[in-house]
Amino acid sequence: MDDEVREVVTPPSRTQKDTSLGYELYLNVRTLVFVLAALILVFTFVVRIIVVSGESMENTLQNGDSMLVWCLGYEPKQGDVVVVTQRSYQNDSLVKRVIATEGQRVDIDYETSTVYVDGVALEEPYIKEAMQIPIYGEGVNHVTVPEGCIFVMGDNRNDSADSRYPDIGVIDTRCVIGRAVMVLFPFQDFTLL
Amino acid sequence: MNKQRPYKVYWLVWTLVLAAVAAAVRLWQEATAFEGEYGLPIPGATASVVLVCVLVMAVAVLAMLAARQPVVTPPRAKVRGRRWDMSFFATGDSVFLALMCISAFCALASVPILFTKGRALWKAYQVALAMKTWRGGDNGVLGMVTAVLALLAFFGLLQIGREGFRPGRRGKGGFWAALPACAGCGWLLGTYRNCAADPVLWDYVPLLLAVIAGMLMYIDWAGMSCAAARPRRMLWLAGMTVVCSWVALASRPDTGTTLLLVSQWVAAVAALHRLPINLQNPPTVGSEEKLSAPTGMPQEIEIPMENKEEDTHV
Repeated sequence: MDDEVREVVTPPSRTQKDTSLGYELYLNVRTLVFVLAALILVFTFVVRIIVVSGESMENTLQNGDSMLVWCLGYEPKQGDVVVVTQRSYQNDSLVKRVIATEGQRVDIDYETSTVYVDGVALEEPYIKEAMQIPIYGEGVNHVTVPEGCIFVMGDNRNDSADSRYPDIGVIDTRCVIGRAVMVLFPFQDFTLL
Repeated sequence: MNKQRPYKVYWLVWTLVLAAVAAAVRLWQEATAFEGEYGLPIPGATASVVLVCVLVMAVAVLAMLAARQPVVTPPRAKVRGRRWDMSFFATGDSVFLALMCISAFCALASVPILFTKGRALWKAYQVALAMKTWRGGDNGVLGMVTAVLALLAFFGLLQIGREGFRPGRRGKGGFWAALPACAGCGWLLGTYRNCAADPVLWDYVPLLLAVIAGMLMYIDWAGMSCAAARPRRMLWLAGMTVVCSWVALASRPDTGTTLLLVSQWVAAVAALHRLPINLQNPPTVGSEEKLSAPTGMPQEIEIPMENKEEDTHV
């Protein structure tokens, strides 16, 4: 019989080894950093959350609403609510509705408060109230949208700086950030657009 | 038995070549791929396509280098409590210390610039609010936060260099490396906030990628002091930090951003300089002979099978 006493040294298990406070803290911080990086990438290339500033899209959007904007591979279509940037007017973005795309003819009749696209009157249940002639005059109200551009207007026609305003005019599609797909906050305004 | 290859040289050469090529292509893109008063991108411009290809190539080349990086795992007993030293013990390596000092002082130099700019924007924001003319944009808060975090990053980077000369002490280094990672978080949020309304992705995506690469590199760097070490991934991230930082620098950003970019790419070069040496020649803490072994000269070492795992320093 072997009387030799052997000391058995059990190596610490992974669970024992990895439960130090520093290790746990590090894992949490690392997770947060990775999540932040992933979120920034998603919010750069795929979607964005943009807060509405102003009343130009009432009653569809209210001042302070947070919208989810889809950016990835978006091509503007008539009727979409889009977020655009027109640096000739301001550095921050604008939220408007696409009235016409490239090649379409836009005619605005202020007397009947009607917008014609390619000679067809648009049905616009979304506008807040009947259009009146803006303070800067009729502006751009008869135009054929050039290639690669869109014509946009706010739903609150009487309080909206949009493609009618000469400093803004038609918008290059490369200035389109994306399409507003839903209102996220406040929750009572939650809706698909 | 394998012949040791000078991986440190591979890393530095490949990274700097890829960074120089990417920066040159970025300059070419800026000269040819945008049009009009507001620099809208020309669809399908050759330079833009080439830049994407170069960046993808950089990702692939550096990933291959990382996958092939030999990592020698010392006996567990020698590593316990000394994980940081196994990776960044650098006594006698004045290059590492010098690079970390340069990186730290670049971060420090950015502090007054970022803070002054942020404060000016904050004052302008207050005035605009009072006059009810605020149209959105940068109100300067994130700029000031980034400045404060850059100050913390200065201490962190300086301490990382110092820790390379002080053997022992369990868990050292991790906290200090996490400071520049936190600064990266603030910087990333500020950068994104300023660019969110810009429809031209090329205006800011190189900078975002550079900040993200640097931030992830630092957080992996912090992990080298605990069981979460990912040395190969850290090398890859350090390489990507250098490449993306050069691309972002080619766009001639403002002075504060330039200093932060220089800070992180110099720190990344320091990591690319030191880490491969220590991974191939695990330092015996307290014995400086091992550390000063020239990495360019072939040595015979044995690489055990378990080194295939990422978490080597267990």
